[in-house]
Amino acid sequence: MAKIGVFICHCGENIAAKVDCTKLAAAMGEHPGVAVSVEYKYFCSDPGQESVKKAIRDNNLTGIVIAACSPRMHEATFRKACAEAGLNPYLCEIANIREQCSWVHTDSDMATEKAMDITRSMVEKVKRNNILQPIEVPVTRRALVIGGGIAGLQAALDIANAGQEVVLVEREPSLGGHMAQLSETFPTLDCSQCIMTPRMVETAQHPKIRLLTYAEVESVDGYIGNFKVRIRMKSRYVDMSRCTGCGDCITKCPAKKISSEFDCGLGKRTAIYTPFAQSVPNMPVIDTASCIYFKNGKCKMCQKSCQLNAINFEMQDEFIDLEIGAIVVATGFQIQNTAVYGEYGYGKFPDVITGLQFERLASASGPTAGKILRPSDGKEPQNVVFIQCAGSRDPSKGVRYCSKICCMYTAKHAMLYAHKVHGGKTHIFYMDIRAAGKGYDEFTRRAIEEDEASYIRGRVSKVWQENGKLMVRGVDTLLGKPVTVVADMVVLATAMVPQSDAKEFAKNIGIAYDEYGFYNEAHLKLRPVESSTAGVFLAGACQSPKDIPDSISQASATASKVLALFSKEKLEREPVIAINNEATCAGCWGCVLACPYNAIEKKDIRDRSGRLIKQVAFVNPGLCQGCGTCVSFCRSNSLDLAGFTEKQIFAEVMGL
Amino acid sequence: MITQERYRTTVKELLANGSIKMAIGYRLGSTPDRRRPLFIRTSEEADQLVLDSTCMTNLSGYLVTEGLLSDEKKVGIFLRPEGIRSINILAAEYQLNADQIVIFGFDSTGRDVRPLDGRNVGEFSKLLNEIKEHPLQIVKEPLHWRIEKMNAKERFDFWQEEFSRCIKCYACRQACPMCYCRRCIVDSNQPQWINTSSHTLGNFEWNIVRAFHLSGRCVQCGNCDRACPVNIPLRLINQRMANEVLDGFDHFAGLSPTQEPVLASFKKDDTETFIL
Amino acid sequence: MSELKFEPKIVAFVCTYCTYAGADLAGTSRLKYAPNVRIVRLPCTGRISPMFILKALQKGADGVLVSGCHPGDCHFTHGNYHARRRWMVFRALLDFTGISPERVMFSWISAAEGSKFADLINSVTEDIRKLGPFDQYQQLIKETESPATL
Repeated sequence: MAKIGVFICHCGENIAAKVDCTKLAAAMGEHPGVAVSVEYKYFCSDPGQESVKKAIRDNNLTGIVIAACSPRMHEATFRKACAEAGLNPYLCEIANIREQCSWVHTDSDMATEKAMDITRSMVEKVKRNNILQPIEVPVTRRALVIGGGIAGLQAALDIANAGQEVVLVEREPSLGGHMAQLSETFPTLDCSQCIMTPRMVETAQHPKIRLLTYAEVESVDGYIGNFKVRIRMKSRYVDMSRCTGCGDCITKCPAKKISSEFDCGLGKRTAIYTPFAQSVPNMPVIDTASCIYFKNGKCKMCQKSCQLNAINFEMQDEFIDLEIGAIVVATGFQIQNTAVYGEYGYGKFPDVITGLQFERLASASGPTAGKILRPSDGKEPQNVVFIQCAGSRDPSKGVRYCSKICCMYTAKHAMLYAHKVHGGKTHIFYMDIRAAGKGYDEFTRRAIEEDEASYIRGRVSKVWQENGKLMVRGVDTLLGKPVTVVADMVVLATAMVPQSDAKEFAKNIGIAYDEYGFYNEAHLKLRPVESSTAGVFLAGACQSPKDIPDSISQASATASKVLALFSKEKLEREPVIAINNEATCAGCWGCVLACPYNAIEKKDIRDRSGRLIKQVAFVNPGLCQGCGTCVSFCRSNSLDLAGFTEKQIFAEVMGL
Repeated sequence: MITQERYRTTVKELLANGSIKMAIGYRLGSTPDRRRPLFIRTSEEADQLVLDSTCMTNLSGYLVTEGLLSDEKKVGIFLRPEGIRSINILAAEYQLNADQIVIFGFDSTGRDVRPLDGRNVGEFSKLLNEIKEHPLQIVKEPLHWRIEKMNAKERFDFWQEEFSRCIKCYACRQACPMCYCRRCIVDSNQPQWINTSSHTLGNFEWNIVRAFHLSGRCVQCGNCDRACPVNIPLRLINQRMANEVLDGFDHFAGLSPTQEPVLASFKKDDTETFIL
Repeated sequence: MSELKFEPKIVAFVCTYCTYAGADLAGTSRLKYAPNVRIVRLPCTGRISPMFILKALQKGADGVLVSGCHPGDCHFTHGNYHARRRWMVFRALLDFTGISPERVMFSWISAAEGSKFADLINSVTEDIRKLGPFDQYQQLIKETESPATL
């Protein structure tokens, strides 16, 4: 038998001035199932709350309705009061008679009538409320960070420095990502390697970080706090427990003319190689596609040269299974294939290069040891043309979005060039200069004012070769005239795009992505570092184009999210989740498809002998976020949502 | 008659060589133009098979009889194109494995019955796509046009009149291959969403909910319409909903066994002109 | 005369993250609107089942309003996209059976659109007032209270 307490708050004059609280209390007092119906000036005050608690205890109430302000205001307050009085906090409902009644209506009688309807419907609802307990999910305190670029390193270090275990997975042979390829960084022009490599070393040596390079995430199962992750360790053909990184094998390797990925094709490497001199770990891998032994079955020069017997041609891929509590996805980006701009001649003219190639040219550890030299003849270019938005903001050929970093790095390139080649001339074709960021606009101004970068506002239509020079035909929209610039080298500010396998990978780990393949955050504004899947967080350029400070900020934000998750042994969640009636479930799996969180699984129902009788839907309480989309889909009415059950809503509507 | 004879032979062969454990077809009914279902397990039973233009019932609902397909043996079934679409939907909704179903397809024009090529649902996809692309084959009947022209009040009156006859026998549900739920929402009484007593309000709710549950799933086989003992033109509502999902979401129910249910999926650019 | 003016009864089903918050904002902004709407709060528009609309009508509502987050803003990422499809189909069904779409309305109102909420409630109330009471449905409701005729 229901014994409901109704507590009508005056909220000073806020409610009482419009709603006749005495009349409301009297009407509710006569409603079936209501044991107590009282009014008071401020129920949220201490004495107000005490009176609610006392009424609960004295009358053994089975549920309460607070007719007051919005539940968004004080639901938590009164739930706590309930709990203190020994009543399950989920047996408390709020009738919003302030924000949605007294404050918005002028006619007192109508407002009172509406307040009655609102309160009565909540009384009817609370009669059907069930005792609920917060959901507790155990948490494995071990984070997986996917990607060893600057974002991944930052996230891993932040988590590990706070004392939690981290597994860092990088698919390339070395940590570093794109940042390791850069020469200097804007807006301070400090050397990228100088700030990057210490972090790589720190990560590798950190006692809390398990580093898995040349490894890929094979599959992710489970849910927040309880992921099961399988990692594929790609065979390096080098036994990491023996290798000391002496480099003898690399020196001896006869296959020396392989285009270096790290140097963007501007340098060469061997078949057994480390991507760059400061690689972490500093242990080589064999590129089987280029290795003479793997191609012809003869050579093994590296094995002969290795005094530690570390080379093993029989090595196979291995799998590691890990229990993981939270995942940080920091898989980064790639640059768009510039071949889509045939008119710019990339690939046809060797001196038309990408911004990333320019970084390698400008890098002290790069193929030219930091000298800006043309790839075609190794001469110092005297005129360089930079083309911004070579792919970005171009719906017809490239991508619609702004890659965000190109304005800045192009200005930086112009400056680096001016510093290295005295008397050199730079022209920059641009659409807009987007230099929003700390010190950014000052930086681009410096490029223009101190380093004499000549900015031309307009697009380039064509690049061609004439008498050994590159002719750049564009338009100066400020002058309203076509212009042709003679150049020795052309640098394209190519767009940042998602990794080519980004979508496939997202499906593999169960997160959402946008039309391009950038990973979707749970909420663009309010939850920018959470993915759509609870317990999976996003850092860096895998979410959208980002510069280094943004990537690092986001990485640290993911670390704080992970650490907050790891701060307790168990995860406590609101018990508003869907539940399935397995007896009536027809197993049509519409709910599985409709669930935005992949929270619904197929569960086998077996008889005592283990024979499969049927399959039914099972809502994983760790994953369900309680939206109820599945419930309204379910034709057989088997699914229901705790806290907003069919019975509750039915009663609420019928109580109106 | 030729089609019928050929199919009798085929069924006998397939039963004899063990390709199918049973075939579901038609036999003579209580009146000359009535047919009743026939479950063929033996050669003798195959001789009772009747296949003519009066074989209207969509038999696919029998396939989801509990336990029939659990031994993973194949079952043959006589189906018109609508019935084949039902198989696709049942497969898409995981009620059966389409590979277990051997289809004896047929269609009729006037009194002529002709066989349809194919045995597995996949082989009918061309045919089904053609039906989708030529909606003229789904002719709107005069009554449909009449309702379209009515204003809201007249429509309400029309349906009130129709539904007032409903006796809630649920024959429409029992006849429908799509109504395979172990418990129908109308039988759920916690809460009692649908008034079960036989007043018009309850009848109205029942028929609306049934039509909603069939939206994007109904293949217009007409089973419900024929089953209704008080002749409520249920096909009209179902047809209207089929047109709605076809126009709104380009969804033609039962095109393939992997088709996503239209109401459990969405597109970000779905129409929303009606939203304020 | 004005004493007898028809006051429509309208039931609104709203999601808690957007429209309910928008209604709260209308309150904190002290906007004034018609007192004819009763709100039922749900976690997401995805939770709003067509059954709710039928029950609101059975409870004597002359109009029903369903409202949630704008596309792309759903707290649960795409509950509202599912809801939109469901509404479109259900709306067509009601229309075909004689429950005018003018009585069952759908809207997107964000947590920031307090004034849109107030304006919408006013316009919806006026529209329903013009349509008049849903006599036909109320007649059906009345029938259920009388003993069945033989």
